[in-house]
Amino acid sequence: MSEVKDLKPREDRLVKPPLYGLMASFDNPTDVVAAAREAYDAGYRKINGYSPYPIEELSEAIGFHRTRLPIIVLIGGIVGGLSGYLMQYWVAAVNYPINVGGKPLHSWPAFMPITFEMTVLFAAFAAVFGMLALNGLPMPYHPVFNAPSFDLASRDHFFLVIEAKDPKFDYEETLRFMNTLNANEVVDVEV
Amino acid sequence: MEHPHQEERVHATEPVVEPGYTFSSVTDKISSIVLRRRTPLWWFAGFAVAFVLAQVLLLSITYLVFTGIGIFGTNVPVGWAMPIINFVWWIGIGHAGTLISAILLLLRQEWRTSINRFAEAMTLFAVACAGIYPVFHLGRPWLAYWLFPYPNTMNIWPQFRSPLMWDVFAVSTYGTVSALFWFIGLIPDFATLRDRARSRPFQWIYGMLAMGWRGSARHWARYEMAYLLLAGLATPLVLSVHTIVSFDFAIGIIPGWHATIFPPYFVAGAIYAGFAMVLLLTIPLRKLYGLEGFITDRHIDNMAKVMLATGLIVLYGYMMEAFFGYYSANQYESYMIHNRQFGPYWYYYWALIFCNGFTPQLLWFKFFRKNTVILWFIAVVVSIGMWLERFVIVITSLHRDFLPSSWGMYQPTIWDWSMFLGTLGLFFSLLFLFIRFLPMISIFEMRTILPQAEIEEEAA
Amino acid sequence: MSTAVEKTFAAPPEVARLQRPALIVGAVFLLLLVAGIFLPHGTGQNQVPGITQFFRSYLLGFVFWTGVSVGCLGLLMLQHNIRGAWGMVIRRVLEAGTRTLPLMLVLFLPLAIFGLPHIYEWVNPQGFHATERSIEIINSKRGYLNVPFFLIRSFIYFALWIGLMYVLNLWSREQDRTSEHGLIKKMQRVSGPGLGIFILSVTFASIDWVMSLEPEWFSTIFGLLFVAGWNLSAFSFVIVVMFWLSERRPMNEVLLPRHFHDLGKLLLAFVMLWAYFAFSQYLIIWAGNLPEEIKWYLYRTRGGWGWVGILLPILHFAIPFLMLLSRDLKRNASKLAAVALAILVMRFIDLVWIIVPEFHKGAFAMSWMDVVSPVAIGGLWLAYFAWQLQQRPLVPTGDSRLAEAMEEHGGH
Repeated sequence: MSEVKDLKPREDRLVKPPLYGLMASFDNPTDVVAAAREAYDAGYRKINGYSPYPIEELSEAIGFHRTRLPIIVLIGGIVGGLSGYLMQYWVAAVNYPINVGGKPLHSWPAFMPITFEMTVLFAAFAAVFGMLALNGLPMPYHPVFNAPSFDLASRDHFFLVIEAKDPKFDYEETLRFMNTLNANEVVDVEV
Repeated sequence: MEHPHQEERVHATEPVVEPGYTFSSVTDKISSIVLRRRTPLWWFAGFAVAFVLAQVLLLSITYLVFTGIGIFGTNVPVGWAMPIINFVWWIGIGHAGTLISAILLLLRQEWRTSINRFAEAMTLFAVACAGIYPVFHLGRPWLAYWLFPYPNTMNIWPQFRSPLMWDVFAVSTYGTVSALFWFIGLIPDFATLRDRARSRPFQWIYGMLAMGWRGSARHWARYEMAYLLLAGLATPLVLSVHTIVSFDFAIGIIPGWHATIFPPYFVAGAIYAGFAMVLLLTIPLRKLYGLEGFITDRHIDNMAKVMLATGLIVLYGYMMEAFFGYYSANQYESYMIHNRQFGPYWYYYWALIFCNGFTPQLLWFKFFRKNTVILWFIAVVVSIGMWLERFVIVITSLHRDFLPSSWGMYQPTIWDWSMFLGTLGLFFSLLFLFIRFLPMISIFEMRTILPQAEIEEEAA
Repeated sequence: MSTAVEKTFAAPPEVARLQRPALIVGAVFLLLLVAGIFLPHGTGQNQVPGITQFFRSYLLGFVFWTGVSVGCLGLLMLQHNIRGAWGMVIRRVLEAGTRTLPLMLVLFLPLAIFGLPHIYEWVNPQGFHATERSIEIINSKRGYLNVPFFLIRSFIYFALWIGLMYVLNLWSREQDRTSEHGLIKKMQRVSGPGLGIFILSVTFASIDWVMSLEPEWFSTIFGLLFVAGWNLSAFSFVIVVMFWLSERRPMNEVLLPRHFHDLGKLLLAFVMLWAYFAFSQYLIIWAGNLPEEIKWYLYRTRGGWGWVGILLPILHFAIPFLMLLSRDLKRNASKLAAVALAILVMRFIDLVWIIVPEFHKGAFAMSWMDVVSPVAIGGLWLAYFAWQLQQRPLVPTGDSRLAEAMEEHGGH
């Protein structure tokens, strides 16, 4: 991104900005997955991969296995279905009972369509907003955007980041390790 | 497992993306339509025509609101006429998008990838056009919010035993979920456009829409799960919507409307019409933008086959209606079908059988599925046929009431037609804006189906 | 195709061992059924001669097992059309299922020759104490509902089914021998229109055999309900067979969790389809509340039948639906087979609920013969099926797509 160009090299600055982590870039998916596995095997846990499209192996390699999303969606659906049915029951049979065409006040077959729609609506909201919330989006600013050429993460490049917060992180040591990963280049990522 | 005929594993199917594309060329080719290439002249010409037609819609609605629905040809006994015909026609067209996206995703059909974005957009615009009709047919559209259940000072509530209420929930849920599905699918592509845009305002707009998407592996994992779950939810939803639209008719006891076959027959008709519209639009578009590498002949062929299959179900529906009309030995039922076939609107019925019953049979032959010009005309005929179907169902069932004293005929007025033309204008205006400002093919999903995307596992 | 490969995929000896007990059970229950002819049935107003009860129960068993045979035919053509690994591994079981159709044709004969006056009010209005109104309706439908035309139609259905069964099985056999690639296309080309023929013939068969039990009543979705129902019966049956085979050589080396996963997904789809059709029919007729339509449901939603009617959405839909949502269950062959078996039982109860109330004018009554008959016909059917299953290798060894279908991580 354009902001990147405004940054000066680190040594010119009076105060070193704190480091977010080290980022290695790759030009094919196989290498980044292999690198992520190596980093995980080497004991790094605060690692993340970046890719222009979903790679199941990559999220597994960085140690991400299960998301809570399905249970969130299930709860959303149950809440939606129950509220849909109970709303209709309460309106049609309790609060505003009217005889329509001789149908019973509690006409369960007629309540099914709206119950179904409400189930789907709430479950869909749960899926979308649950996913965004778990991912911490929207988040317009993030340190990785500072890395030069990170704009290629949405085109054809793949990245692996080891965060400075990782207990095993040691700048020299980690840099040396990342240079063994068959990466195109390894750069600092500033906060 | 040993197998003696390994070498014969021939796959005669054509590819879903032409060979030779890379991650960067796919990205550039699709995003350049939005970001780099000069807007072609035909775009301006097409948009201008569509935009003028959209103004006709505004004009008609304005006149309608000031005058009342008496401006339509709707009368007694035909109390539901062009507005509901057009409503059902549009909402039917709006089915292919979510179907292509959701069902084909669940079935792991890779060929969906190059057409799902476009079809979803089409869905949204068609639902928007459809929604206009019931709202403005209310008579007092400014009170449309009365349709929703909310505590009010009048202390009255909507009637949940009415299928028209179900329709309110079905269509609004469908619109909402389709929009969510579409937007979620667009987020990674917004990020691509953000990173590729050169001018500051576009960087900012696409950046805001991308919400800070950065392609993190954790995000992708949750994203894929959310997308899959949405597809799982959207599949029954899309089937339920036209089912409930069919209930609008079938729950009543009008002969010709009260038929238990209506739900599956309406759903098949909707998918049929939707695929016809997708073909109608993608055949010229892929030519104009040179996208034959992404929307290959295999896509066209598959869509034609889906059209054939759903067309046959629709034909089955016509056959059941006709058979049971005579089998029933019920004078109203048998008169209804006799009146459709040989009554004053007979030519609509037989035109319908020609368009929807006869024409799709051509698709049995590869020749017609391969020839995009003929296929385009078949799609036009099918779209007309689906409009005729709704005309036949609505008008011929109503115009002969139970008592001959309340028989009548229906004549649409100029405002019926101007509303219809106007919604066509709105639909195409939105579509032109979409292909100009958003990637019409999902870029990130195209990357996943390239051969380079395969992870080479070392032999363990 | 070399005989070595044929031997590798030959049916396990247990299939042959199944034949005799199945035949014995079938024969014993058939004898019981015949013995029932000489006993009186029902009480009071509903008392009927043994022969009448015999044919009514016989119809139940016949329609149920014909449904499995014809459903296998539908599924066979479906898998030829959409392809996929799941279709490749179940194809031989489906084919063996379709080859039971000649047996069903033979079993149809007693019904056709002697049974109709005992079953259908429109054949024998006096015997059913028909009211004046129903006689009027029956007379107005004479053009369609008359015995010769009924028999011609029924034989046309069997001719179509057996014709499709014959060519598809013939080519499949030829494919084993020649491994010719063109046969794949050939079978596919027949299966496209074949599915259309299947849907239409099942529709009219269900109208003739079942819907016409109540001559006045009609429902335009009824045919689709049987199309979905028969496919579901056949599919449940096939899943149970596949599980049974997966426990034994050679299929234990072929069948993988992903195959059962796909079968489970399709089973879920069929369960949902059946429920969708069944609920649509109920809701529309319930809401319309027209006298000539609603009486069909009044027989079935009141008293004892009402309880069966409540069981259906729960056990035929809700519980299998929720269970089949689980990915782990679908990948577990034994659990999936248990669900499939339960669905197969519910398919029978659904058929009982559709057919039996008609004979008792809605009174909650069932004859012991209604349970004996499906076992009798089922025993014969299973013996015939087991015999047919041994005739050919358990996978289509000549199909070039087989290897891919058997790969650990193959396409779907």
